[in-house]
Amino acid sequence: MTVSKHMATRWTHVLPLALAVAVGLPLSLPAQSRRSLPEGPGREIVQRVCGSTCHGAELVAGKGYTRDSWGAVVNSMVSRGAKASDTELTEIVNYLATNLPPKTGAAGAGGAGFLGGGSDEAQMVDVAAAERGRTVYIAECITCHGVKARGGPRGADLIRSMIVLKDRYGSMLGAFLKAGHPMQSGKPSSSLTGPQIVELSHFLHEKVGDTLRNGPYSKPINVLTGNAKDGAAYFNGAGGCNQCHSVTGDLAGVGEKYDPVSLQQKFLFPRTFATPRGGTRGHVPPVVVTVTVTPASGPSVTGVLSHLDDFNVSLRDSEGNYFTWKRTPSLQVVKHDPLAMHEKLLDQYTDKNMHDIVAYLETLK
Amino acid sequence: MNTRLIVGCLALSTTAALAQLDPAKLAQAPTDSWPTHNGDFSGRRFSPLTNINSNNVSSLSLAWVHRVNAQGNAIFGGAIKASPVVIDGVMYFTIPDHVWAVDARTGHEIWHYTWPSHGGIHIGNRGVSAYGRWLYFETPDCNLVSLNMKDGKERWHKQICDLDQMYFASAAPLVVGNHVVAGVSGDDLDIPGYIESHDPETGDRQWRWYVYPEEGSEAAKSWPSVDAMKHGGGMTWSTPTYDPALNLIYFGTGNPQPVIAGKGREGNNLYTESIVALNPDNGKFRWAFQSSPHDTHDWDAIQTPVLIDGTIDGKPRKLLAQAARNGYFFVIDRETGKNISSTKFARANWSEGLDKLGQPIPNPAKMPQPDGALVSPNQAGAANWPQPSFSPKTGLFYINATNAYSVYYIYDNDEKPEGWGGNDRGGYSESMLEGIDYQTGKVKWSHKWEGPGGPRSGVLATAGNIVFAGDMQNNFVALNSTTGEPLWHVGLNSGITNAPISYELDGTQYVVLACGDTVYAFAMFAK
Repeated sequence: MTVSKHMATRWTHVLPLALAVAVGLPLSLPAQSRRSLPEGPGREIVQRVCGSTCHGAELVAGKGYTRDSWGAVVNSMVSRGAKASDTELTEIVNYLATNLPPKTGAAGAGGAGFLGGGSDEAQMVDVAAAERGRTVYIAECITCHGVKARGGPRGADLIRSMIVLKDRYGSMLGAFLKAGHPMQSGKPSSSLTGPQIVELSHFLHEKVGDTLRNGPYSKPINVLTGNAKDGAAYFNGAGGCNQCHSVTGDLAGVGEKYDPVSLQQKFLFPRTFATPRGGTRGHVPPVVVTVTVTPASGPSVTGVLSHLDDFNVSLRDSEGNYFTWKRTPSLQVVKHDPLAMHEKLLDQYTDKNMHDIVAYLETLK
Repeated sequence: MNTRLIVGCLALSTTAALAQLDPAKLAQAPTDSWPTHNGDFSGRRFSPLTNINSNNVSSLSLAWVHRVNAQGNAIFGGAIKASPVVIDGVMYFTIPDHVWAVDARTGHEIWHYTWPSHGGIHIGNRGVSAYGRWLYFETPDCNLVSLNMKDGKERWHKQICDLDQMYFASAAPLVVGNHVVAGVSGDDLDIPGYIESHDPETGDRQWRWYVYPEEGSEAAKSWPSVDAMKHGGGMTWSTPTYDPALNLIYFGTGNPQPVIAGKGREGNNLYTESIVALNPDNGKFRWAFQSSPHDTHDWDAIQTPVLIDGTIDGKPRKLLAQAARNGYFFVIDRETGKNISSTKFARANWSEGLDKLGQPIPNPAKMPQPDGALVSPNQAGAANWPQPSFSPKTGLFYINATNAYSVYYIYDNDEKPEGWGGNDRGGYSESMLEGIDYQTGKVKWSHKWEGPGGPRSGVLATAGNIVFAGDMQNNFVALNSTTGEPLWHVGLNSGITNAPISYELDGTQYVVLACGDTVYAFAMFAK
């Protein structure tokens, strides 16, 4: 029996500016699929891979990132054990980037934080209003509170200010400024108009959002710090990369194809999803892991690994036949993972090796 | 005990059950109940039951299956990460905003409670705790809620944190005496962690302990300023353990803030990433041991502090052991907080060795860098929140461990970074179940799981010489707890998402675990 199943409600995030200041009251709307994924190609895969084992799809729904950021999120989930083929990962990133782009002030789902943190009733930033608020901020506040509103010797940190964090469309900020606070122009802060306060509020909430994990600062600054010559030496020497790769063959033009961060991630963790420069990625042949199984009584069978655990092993041979065995001490199982060397090298690379290889790969244009 | 509370209308199988927790159960090893998050106060997650054992585990039967999404409708997102509690034949478990009571013999639903949410991160809920006739659980939108065990009716709710600062609540509380001890979550903004206690009857707050030290104290010198310290993080994500004789609760604290960019918080950053001992009656600080001084990798040291009454160098000792997310296994004297041993149980390339307190010294080169630093373990860690187990019979501490690498970047080179200021990307990981000898800190056996990734399954050891755990291929596996040899398995619909528990009713021993939205009960039926 269901004891208490209240209809969840949420507050609208976008209010007419003047109304917000004058009334300060949110309107209530019924919750509708607040935490479900939008329709679109790839939705089912996202639901299955991202919405069952570790967390629900509601954690994903309502977020908004760039393609690059979604790629980083997906890779990080792969490293935590998310199970999907290379093709599926491509479809997942395509779905997320297409259907959940960065939020631009429309009513979203959940709070503003990385995983929907914060209140469902949190202020949603109106980007255009925030831009107007920036003008007010630069004119009256920036000298003391700083470019990123993080404060300084002369002014409080506004990102950590309870007045800002508790504010909704100027509700707290307005009262604070009406009471009087020094401004750069020397004018009384009570002279700020209602719309200006709301715009300032949007700007400050935008700055709070910028500090979050989905904010604009969330990407590597520069990874091209290595020495390409030393990278080449490592590639052809201690690293043994040239035993499998050729800079005029499979890696020809790789520095053109991927940006430096993707190069770094791809050579360290080759199962990483990476989008080539300037576009979505085309078909990439999946990495095929094969296995050879030799029963005590019979001949060996080799094929594409389908499943392997402590108890069973299964494969599909070149003719498409499916085989499975119960694992016993007399059953020989030999896995052939073409990427195994990359995993071994993780114990060997120094950070200098890593930076040098990126610098070297970047020259392959 | 209040005998008026005999439950008649609820179909509680064959016995007339009192829907209430007998306090005497808390002092015993769990047999016909699993009355607390970890089975008992020690955090060992050790079942003394032997009806299921290493000789007969291969004839385990499926007893029942309970799927919260009936008819396959994905009504409830997310996975069951809660460790169930079993009292008087009824099992209680949660997902964020929801609590279920099911018959522990049959899996039939008795009641279901829904909390109307107003936000917060819905990443997981670790379960309920019980006191008398009442249950307590936390909601993502920062409330501590008390329900009547009998029918799931709400008795009261109290706000324990502030959504506007992006706190949320996910932990399973701990009830000690007349204290409901509740931790808080959230690491988006630079906010301080704390843990607090509430009156189980009224819900009123009794005390709150902030993770930062007192201003002006020696420990406060581990921060560059009071401002940095009071915005320094240290969330209390998991359920404490408790030593009744010493009257101390033990819990781990989370990452310092800003999380990745350590510029602006130079120093060890006490008491973040520490194992902390408090008096539960008043929240007074007793001692702390810091698992990760000045962490910059999000390696919350919130893994269960397991209490072991053991022997070191021939002398009986009151110990505490933690397999930390940063890859170190710590054994500590739980009376004093003094370190006994610190060893690595998984890949960890980030430390320059140990300081005089036995705490790892972070290597500055392996702190996040603008151009990246290749670090093991990755952010998910060598271990994470899934609970370990300890068997007093084998003397081994069992943990689902992970070897992993990723690249840590500084994204925000500001003089005063805020929030995260960086993150890790990509990664490789492989995992294994380990049995660690608490006396030496050495891994006695390690059973590698096939396939990449790190498991999200807790562990259960039993007196039947078995350790139960999930692998990376959706198997629930029973291994010989002395040798690590796999004995039995069952392939399930997804990876195991909580920690197994065990109890015995009518002579039948059950082992219960969850995968995603489904609870499975396996049993050795009474003859």
